[in-house]
Amino acid sequence: MTTGSIVTPRSHPASAAIVDRIDSIEFPTKRDEAWRYAPHAKLAQLSFGPAGLSAPPVPADVDQQIPQLDGPTIVIVNGVVDRSRSNLAALPKGLAVSSLAEVAANEPERLDRHFQPKITDAFVALNVAYGTDGVVIAVAEGQRLETSIHIVNIKLPSETHNTSCAGVVIALGPSAAATVVETRLGDAASAAQNGVGGLNCRTTITLGANASLEHIVLQDLPRSQVQLGAVEVTQAERSEFRGRLFNLGASFGRLAYHIELAGSGARTDLSGLYFGRGDQVLDQQITVVHSAKDCVSRQSFRGVLDDDSVGVFNGGVDVRPGADGTDAAQSNANLLLSDRAEINTQPRLEILADDVSCKHGATVGQLNETALYYMRSRGIDADTARRLLINGFADEIVEKIGNKTLRAWVSQRLGHNDG
Amino acid sequence: MLRVKDLTASIGETLILKGVDLSVGAGEVHAIMGPNGSGKSTFAHALAGRDGYEIGGTATLDGQDLLAMKPEARAAAGLFMGFQYPVEIPGVNNMYFLRTALNSVRRARGEDEVSARDFLAIADEAMALVEMKKDFLHRAVNAGFSGGEKKRNEIVQMAVMQPRLAVLDETDSGLDIDALRVIASGVNSLRGPDRSLIVITHYQRLLDYIEPDFVHVLVNGKIVKSGDRTLALHLEEHGYVDFVNDDLRAADRPLSGAAT
Repeated sequence: MTTGSIVTPRSHPASAAIVDRIDSIEFPTKRDEAWRYAPHAKLAQLSFGPAGLSAPPVPADVDQQIPQLDGPTIVIVNGVVDRSRSNLAALPKGLAVSSLAEVAANEPERLDRHFQPKITDAFVALNVAYGTDGVVIAVAEGQRLETSIHIVNIKLPSETHNTSCAGVVIALGPSAAATVVETRLGDAASAAQNGVGGLNCRTTITLGANASLEHIVLQDLPRSQVQLGAVEVTQAERSEFRGRLFNLGASFGRLAYHIELAGSGARTDLSGLYFGRGDQVLDQQITVVHSAKDCVSRQSFRGVLDDDSVGVFNGGVDVRPGADGTDAAQSNANLLLSDRAEINTQPRLEILADDVSCKHGATVGQLNETALYYMRSRGIDADTARRLLINGFADEIVEKIGNKTLRAWVSQRLGHNDG
Repeated sequence: MLRVKDLTASIGETLILKGVDLSVGAGEVHAIMGPNGSGKSTFAHALAGRDGYEIGGTATLDGQDLLAMKPEARAAAGLFMGFQYPVEIPGVNNMYFLRTALNSVRRARGEDEVSARDFLAIADEAMALVEMKKDFLHRAVNAGFSGGEKKRNEIVQMAVMQPRLAVLDETDSGLDIDALRVIASGVNSLRGPDRSLIVITHYQRLLDYIEPDFVHVLVNGKIVKSGDRTLALHLEEHGYVDFVNDDLRAADRPLSGAAT
């Protein structure tokens, strides 16, 4: 691991504090349960450092990959907000969008939670140290936004260090509602020439009472890259979080969710799809903490794994003392398309309250041969039949995307050629 | 239209079809009857091209060698098989499935594909044949369908595909009498001088509604008796007892109940 020592003067005080001791924080190893299936040799090649002063130019073919959604768009390139690519014209009433660096300089206290997380591993520390730019979204009380807010995080090769950090802070006031889409992309051609590298993104979300957020992460980095990331959510009473993860790209695509249901009656509905080919490792680490009464949580993940790819679903539910009336369920269904593909699925339940319902289930299967034959007997060729079956399996998650354009983008990416 | 000669099928060491001969002319309806385990379904799957059988003999449809073709090519050649147990395909929309199927065979035949709008008219007509509600088009293929609904869906598919030859494998099993009538009337409306049918059934009841031109008795992997529909009536009355005990010579003996 190589690190730099210059921190932009506009960073949060916590960034500066952690940079001084960053080299003493060790990388996780195979012995850490949450990093058991990670490609540690690849991780050891990652290098980190402060973000540049301006965003590098984006190649046209990367621009073309970006889903075009209506509404405000913020583009981050190598950890720096690219103002020329962002579109923040005509923001709806009640929505404030700022750069993380800006808020860190002017109102650092708004970012205290984001920059003072529990340091669970070296990558969180590195993100605190170098994820000094990014996006801050605030939706005022009672504002229910119609259009989605799109954050595009692009990773391009860089001369100083191969991995970029960025931060996203989302705060919804009481009874506010919004949709935030985080798309993560890179340039396959130049990335392949430049070897390992990637993104390390953290998102911190606070939902006020009765607030409602749909938060979508579309991870589609080039196959040579690594995506590390965390989404940390704190929910007040009766708020609703709908998280959707599409973990599609990168050689190692990992996202850790930590969701705390802190107010009674809060609901979380987290679903995800991971779709692995080649030697991809797609890793979802989830912890939902029920710390208030009568909260509901759902985790529903589906995986399709081909070739030598590996999937990890490590789904946890912690029911804290006093969180009576908890209703939690998790399910993980997997389709293995090759003999060599691998899925590691593990529920973790810790229940310290009464009157609790915690359900979990996992399935692993192969393509249904009888269904393939049935379709072929109707004239559908074997490849198309396979594709229809796989897409049918994945659609259960894809269909949860509210935004039609985005849903079409994901379908297209998964190889559907018709709706 | 269909010519089957000395068709054999085995799985591993087990010989299931022991040399079936059958010729079906254009517009004809043939019934194949037989006790459980006689090889009726295997015969249908051998024609449709299911994996896992060792196949011998010949089968041609309009002169084309069926046995050399993949299942999808057999469909394009005009073969349709109605499954005894239609398969549930969760996540795949019925309409999308049907249109993909139709356009696949049209493409294979060098014909133009049918647009989404034109397809809707085709599907509506097909569904009306078996009194199927329109919302079935928007559900996943057979997923959560009742037994009767699945069988109706097979006939909808047949109506959309407009095959040269349809092999209906125990389409009557698991149906109540009303559903049987609806399905039989759907099948009858698809009869025509250019379309042939092979109706596989355990019971003669279905043949009251779909009247066959010929009836064949399949026992222990061979057709042991062929005749007109009175043969089915005989089986209804006497069962398969004449054929199962000593099937090879059964054809030479007078049938049970025959005047002596």
